[in-house]
Parts: sequence; structure tokens; C-alpha cells
Amino acid sequence: MVTVTDRDPSQPAPTDEVIGLTSRARLIRLVIAAAVLALTLGGSVYGDDYAFPFGPPRMYSTRADPDTPVSSTRVVGLTDDGGEVRLSGGEVGLRRAEFEGQVPRLVDDPELLGLLAENYLNSHPESEPLVAVAIIVRRLELRDGASTGAFVDDVLVTYDLPETMRASP
Amino acid sequence: MTRFEWLSRWFFVPVPLARVAIFRLIAYLFIPIDVFVTTRWVAAHAGVPTEYYQPLLIGEWLPLPTPTTAVVDIVKWLLIASALLAATGRAPRIWGTTTFLLYLEWMVIAMSYGKVDHDRYAFLVALAVLPTVGVAHWRDQRRSEAAGFAVAAIFIAVMLTYFLAAWAKIRFGGWDWVNGSTLTRAVLRRGTDLSNWTLEVPGLLHVSQYLMIGFELLSPLMLLVRRDRARIALAIFLLGFHLMVFGALRIIFLPHVIAILAILPWERLQPSRSTPDVIPRSDDLAGAGS
Repeated sequence: MVTVTDRDPSQPAPTDEVIGLTSRARLIRLVIAAAVLALTLGGSVYGDDYAFPFGPPRMYSTRADPDTPVSSTRVVGLTDDGGEVRLSGGEVGLRRAEFEGQVPRLVDDPELLGLLAENYLNSHPESEPLVAVAIIVRRLELRDGASTGAFVDDVLVTYDLPETMRASP
Repeated sequence: MTRFEWLSRWFFVPVPLARVAIFRLIAYLFIPIDVFVTTRWVAAHAGVPTEYYQPLLIGEWLPLPTPTTAVVDIVKWLLIASALLAATGRAPRIWGTTTFLLYLEWMVIAMSYGKVDHDRYAFLVALAVLPTVGVAHWRDQRRSEAAGFAVAAIFIAVMLTYFLAAWAKIRFGGWDWVNGSTLTRAVLRRGTDLSNWTLEVPGLLHVSQYLMIGFELLSPLMLLVRRDRARIALAIFLLGFHLMVFGALRIIFLPHVIAILAILPWERLQPSRSTPDVIPRSDDLAGAGS
């Protein structure tokens, strides 16, 4: 049985033995700790996420203007009849935030979107055929930091899939 | 006392080997949970076209392989095997080191696709320092300076995660970050039934932003917490904060939460029977420099 105990002062401590470190072992540890600390502080002051694991922990660090809309990006496959199939959020192994990080690159090079559709269709053979892939940004309206409930969907880029991929496998 | 002696004393306050042995078991057994349950999206990168791989600085400097499907799967299974071997407590320096290196590579695979997470700095530090403790049995109440150093290093890493988060808010968001709508945005994007009501209460999220950055800026003070009971209280406070964030936004810094557990006096969880007759010898002095 396992219990949380406070040490009973009338009992001797289980052992008073202290296993020490040589001064050389201490020095090595302190020098490495100082180097890691310097990299960590340097990364936070000068670096960004690219410097992982020494970049600044910048989660929720950007100031959001109380009247600027909140945007949320999704990547979807479009079927012939205009239906949407979610391609972000795990379906093809990338998260929403990862797509958001790569949006500028995907807008410049939309053929990358074709690879996603190909991957999706390979792993979901039962899926409806897709004719195009689109990046859509939903902008939710804010007023004084509160949601008004209104939103606008903005299509950033649409990539038409080549005929060969449209046929259902 | 010279400054070096003072620093030395702070860093090497001996702690029982049992504390590190129990924490180590938790940390290494967390890795399979991390890989298969709580951070499954990393393994999902195996199915992502390599064109989406965007190497980080570390990936540019070190000759790390491009994460093809095979590379991701091999790293995954090597990491799991290494973590389970490390969890046994045998050859802790060897399996602890391989586990740290494989986990670091696993993180490179995780973070090289357009989004870097900030929830595991302290856990990486924990994996890096655990092998330096050497052999530690979980009933071994002898105190060790090497164990003290490991716990101190993890504690500093936990603290820095908060303190540098405040710094990042000032650096990227500006001094006016507290008057922005960052939390409103977060709740709008990720809110739950437990948090959506906060959008309706005027000023609540605004005040929360002041409290959050205030706590983060004061976080270095937590290093002054030395007594066991005070450290238990501190850990409960920190874990409570992360549970609250999880309830509100479905974000939990789980690896960081595991690292917080290093500050707890685990050696107090003793079997009610007496200590074992035979206490294994530590190889600590022999391998102190490694």
C-alpha cells in the first residue's frame, strides 16, 4: 500500500547519506546549463519559431485589435456539385495552424494543393471525386472585442485539379 | 562565499534519488501516450507530401533526414522502444540519452510543417538532464547532488516557459498587448461550453489578460519556493491554471505539465513497509562527468 507520509521526527531519516559530485562534474553541468540558458534567452530576444527549440514561446503573444475580424483558415476539396470536403484538420496529416503557416507559400505555388487532394483521394477511395482545392478564410466580425456573429468567407486561392485526378479511383 | 559557490549551492541542493526515479518513470511512460494519444498529429506527418516539409534552423544545420513516411515511422518506433527501455531504469545514461535524441528528432518532425508549438521546452530539458542522474532506485532515499541539479534545471525551464511567454507578448504584441482582444479571439476560435459565456461578460477577458501577464512576469519568484509543502502547493496552482485553460480552449501544455511534476517530493510516496534491505549502489560518482 502506498501512502503520503510526513517524516516522523522521532524516527531517524531513512538515510543521511549524500552522494556528492566532484567539482569537475559540477563545473561541466554549470557550463552546459549556462550555454543552454544563453541560447534560450538569445532565442527569445533575437530569434523566432525558426530557432526551435530556442525560439520565444510566443503563444497568444500578438496583440489582437478589438475591431479587426478574427480569421480562421480551412483548406477544402470541392466536388462537382459545389460540396466541400475538409482537407485541413487531420484528414491529410496537417493541422489548421500548419496550413495557416504555409498559406503564403500555397498561394504562390497552388500546385502543392494538388498533392493534398491526391493524398486525400488515395487514403479515402470511397470519397466523391474532387474537381478543385480551395483555401478559404472565414472572417468573423468583432466589435469592441466582442463577436457580432457575422462572418464573411473569403476564397484565397482555388486550384483546379487536372482531369486525370478527377476520375473516382 | 563567492558567487560561484552560491550558484553551486543553489543548483546542487541534494534531493533523494527516489524523487528522480519516480519522476523519470512518469516522464518516460508519458512518451508513448504523447505519440499515440495526445499528440497523434506528429505521426500523421508520415502521410504528408515531403514538399510541405519546411526545415527549421536545426534541420538546416544538422544533417537530419527529410521526413518521408519511412523516416517518420522508424523514428516513431525507435523512440517508443527507447522510452520503454529508459522507463525500466536500467542503463539510465544510455537509454536516457537515446530517448532525448530521438524525442528531439520527433519534435523536429512535429514542428517543421508551418507551425511551432511551445508546450515542451521544459519537457525537452527534463529528457536532457535525466540521464545525468545515473542509477536511481525508487526506494533509494539517499540524497544526490546530481539529482538536485536535474530537478533544479527542470524547475528553471518550467519557470522560463512562463517568463519568456510574457517577454514574447511584450516583444510581439507590444506593451498594449493587455488591451488587445487576444483572449476574445482565442475563445472565438477555440471556445467551449465552459468558456463561451466569458464573451458575454464585459471586461472579464480584458482583466484576465492583465492577470496572465502579471503572473508570467512574476514567475521567477517561484524559484524561491523550496519547502516540500510549498512546492506541492505551487504545482497544484500551476496544474490548476493549465486545467482551466484546457477547459476553456481545449489547449493543454501536456508535456510542460509533466515537467511541472518534477518539482514534487515524490519520495514521500513511500510504501508503508520499511525500506528494502539492499539499496543498489549508484554509479553516480564514477560517471559524474558524462
